[in-house]
Amino acid sequence: MSTHNVPETFSIPVGPLHVALEEPMYFKIDVQGETVSHIDINAGHAHRGIEYLTTKRTMYQNVVLTERICSLCSNSHPQTFAMAAEKIAGIEVPERGIYLRTVADEMKRVTSHLFNVALLVHLVGYETYFMHMMQVREIGQDMLESIFGNRQDIGAMCIGGVRYDLDDKSIAYIKGALDKIEAETKDIIKTFKTNGSILRRTKGVGVLTHADAITCGVVGPVARASGVDYDVRREAPYAAYDRLPLIVHSLTDGDVWSRAMVRLEEILTSIDLLRVCLRDLPGGPVNINDRPDIPPGQAVTRSEAPRGEVIYYLRTNDTPQPERVKWRVPTFMNWDSLRFMLQDAKVADIAMIVNSIDPCLSCTER
Amino acid sequence: MSRLPQDLEARLTAAAPAGIEFSADTDQYGVTVAWLGLASAADLSPVANLLKELGARLSMITCTQPSAPEEEEEDEDEENEDDEAKAEAAPKETPKTFGGTPLDGTSYEIDYHFDIAGDALTIIAYVPQGGSIASLTPLFRNADWHEREMMELYAVKVTDHPDPRRLFLDASIDDAVLERLIPFSTLVNAASTKGLWERLTAAGKKGAA
Repeated sequence: MSTHNVPETFSIPVGPLHVALEEPMYFKIDVQGETVSHIDINAGHAHRGIEYLTTKRTMYQNVVLTERICSLCSNSHPQTFAMAAEKIAGIEVPERGIYLRTVADEMKRVTSHLFNVALLVHLVGYETYFMHMMQVREIGQDMLESIFGNRQDIGAMCIGGVRYDLDDKSIAYIKGALDKIEAETKDIIKTFKTNGSILRRTKGVGVLTHADAITCGVVGPVARASGVDYDVRREAPYAAYDRLPLIVHSLTDGDVWSRAMVRLEEILTSIDLLRVCLRDLPGGPVNINDRPDIPPGQAVTRSEAPRGEVIYYLRTNDTPQPERVKWRVPTFMNWDSLRFMLQDAKVADIAMIVNSIDPCLSCTER
Repeated sequence: MSRLPQDLEARLTAAAPAGIEFSADTDQYGVTVAWLGLASAADLSPVANLLKELGARLSMITCTQPSAPEEEEEDEDEENEDDEAKAEAAPKETPKTFGGTPLDGTSYEIDYHFDIAGDALTIIAYVPQGGSIASLTPLFRNADWHEREMMELYAVKVTDHPDPRRLFLDASIDDAVLERLIPFSTLVNAASTKGLWERLTAAGKKGAA
């Protein structure tokens, strides 16, 4: 756009399909010269009606269906859904199952965070380092594929426990892969703290203040980068998190760099948690080996997906199908904060700022 | 060892003059999940104001149309013990919530899920068919999308919403989609193979004539 003499106001569409966006979202952005003055968000391009569909499937079919809501948090959905069903039916997950749930959860968190930060580096324009980071993520993806047979929808969860088990060989393999990812992640953190290109593009960009973060009710790394020290794993523990040395990372600047740094630090914490889980892994069954009927009732359960708090509300009746399933994914809360982050931002930073909330559209619109 | 304030139930009772139904249980992790039924949906705003003062975060809003309880059967025995007593008093009448909203399958139950320092509190408000509920968006900015989604999925009215546009569904689609049966063929719009065939043959005849 040309801004030769007087700054004029333009309205530019970003999306629904746009080279800089991974998923269809439509931003109507008013710019004054190179500066964003107002944004409007228009959703609904990937609405699939899964919420309706859940009431037509049985409880056990829904474990499979909820996994398909999102690919990057694919483990958090069936887990939180199963937790709700277990709460209503009073099912106790065996100890080994509890630890294996945590293992699957943290493996997905490592690869999800690496993916998001790699994309940030891509949007910064540092392509070689983007390739390198995706290569590091690939170690994690190989790990998922080797253990679960799938790279994204790992199918690890079931009502009453998990559907996979680990033996000494696979535990040794995971430990080896984690060592590699850990060393690389430490290098990446060093790069993020020193590399001029990354610092210049991300420091002080897309700021979400602590007060705005509270107002918007943001969750996950977006909240923690703005000083909201909240993590479901610590605040409302589930699985094995109450007995693990969990460190919650939070920063105060609320910019793109802080959000990336929180994610990178969380990768290292996830690796530590994984090592403790693999060390302390108790024996016994991995699930209850039964498919009991879920009695009528209602429950609210929460878990910390890579992007933040996932909450499920489940109401069951006398039929095998649930009466109502409702969930809210972290991104649903985080979109709104873009209005604050993009205010007065430069046009060139729009894609980077949008990426910094780690948006997930298939989750948001369901 | 709940993190909810000790006097929460008393303060909620004071904030909701029409009456409340409060229950809470704490799991083995020490996480409390509390439920607060409101006798009158009009009490939602004062209760939400109280929660805002307590530093609660709105986490989710669920709207649902609870199906009518089946006759001669104890429904949802866990959370609605009053139903049984009511059913005994007037066996042939439509069952009602403790606040008097008919439970005939057309009323709405709107659940507001809050987080208070890690504990969960759900406010339950009942709205009869054709009724309305006050918007929480002026109080909790993040209620915005939840309420917009609720308005397009159900025919429930939200009053004083600052921006009551469609959220996900296109403006050309009738609202209350979750209250209607929409045949799959209509939904996908390519229609059934028969419809498509008839359209094509009609177009072919027109072309030949």
